Amino acid sequence: MSEEELDQAIHVPARLRIMVTLASLPDGDDLSFTRLQDLIGLTPGNLITHLRKLEDTGYITTQRNGSGVTARTAVALTSGGRAALDRYSTVLRELLDSASPR
Amino acid sequence: MSEEAGTRNVPESAAGVGMDAQGAAVIMQQAKERAGSELRVRRPLLFVTWGLALLIGYGAMWLSVRGQHPFHGPAWQTLLLSFLLLLIALVVTAQIVDWAASGVGGRSEVRRGIFALAVVAGYAALLIEKTAMASAGASRPVQAVLGATAPMLAAGLVFVATSAVAARLNWARLALGLWLLAVAAGGAWGGPVTTFAVCALAGGGGVLLMAIIEPRLRRS
Repeated sequence: MSEEELDQAIHVPARLRIMVTLASLPDGDDLSFTRLQDLIGLTPGNLITHLRKLEDTGYITTQRNGSGVTARTAVALTSGGRAALDRYSTVLRELLDSASPR
Repeated sequence: MSEEAGTRNVPESAAGVGMDAQGAAVIMQQAKERAGSELRVRRPLLFVTWGLALLIGYGAMWLSVRGQHPFHGPAWQTLLLSFLLLLIALVVTAQIVDWAASGVGGRSEVRRGIFALAVVAGYAALLIEKTAMASAGASRPVQAVLGATAPMLAAGLVFVATSAVAARLNWARLALGLWLLAVAAGGAWGGPVTTFAVCALAGGGGVLLMAIIEPRLRRS
């Protein structure tokens, strides 16, 4: 087993943080862009880049509500995204187990 | 997305290179802990706030009715104190919930709204009922027993009913709800004076105790 088996859309520090943070919310909840930015600690531009990548793979959804100063962009994990993170965790555990001395 | 201003794209290579399995595990753990601590309502703080409000509010009312013959109810100063404590507890609760829930939308937001509605509507109905009972000729002792125990009954029912709302059964909430129902039922049998002491010590004390028990139950 090698690290190439890890989902490469998730296997990037920033995207892994985004996925884990969104997965900590109960099913059906979303997080505003600004709060997610606070939690992840990325610039808006960097966060948008990573969110687009995850949105392209169908792991997250972003939805903009309102306009002007009341505008809010909600970011949520899809069920496919949750399943992908579960698979990623499983593969990661197996990799760590296989690498640890017996 | 609305946050286009100041977009500075990071090359893919700069973001992901060098992360091995061990590093990924560390990042996952850190992100999980950060999200857990930032997005979780600090319930022990809520329990301490409400436990103290109940202990002091009911305790003051008990001190003011102790030894009354005939019974004529708590002094207005203690009622005012209780009202102020209630206001303070509500403001502190709103602040604590806002810390955690800021930016969180979806089902949880709706759930919080319904929870707040249940509490506000429940207590408004109790107040109206108490006034109706007074105008129907209920005696001061009966009004005192109802006024002291009914809020415990309402809170207990809300806690028991909402303990099963989340994906996982909330044992702390269920235990607290059942305890408050027992306090309401037991306190009512104590009569108009003792009921305030029961609500202060068993009700307020129980909520304070939950500040210690709840984190342990959550971790287990």
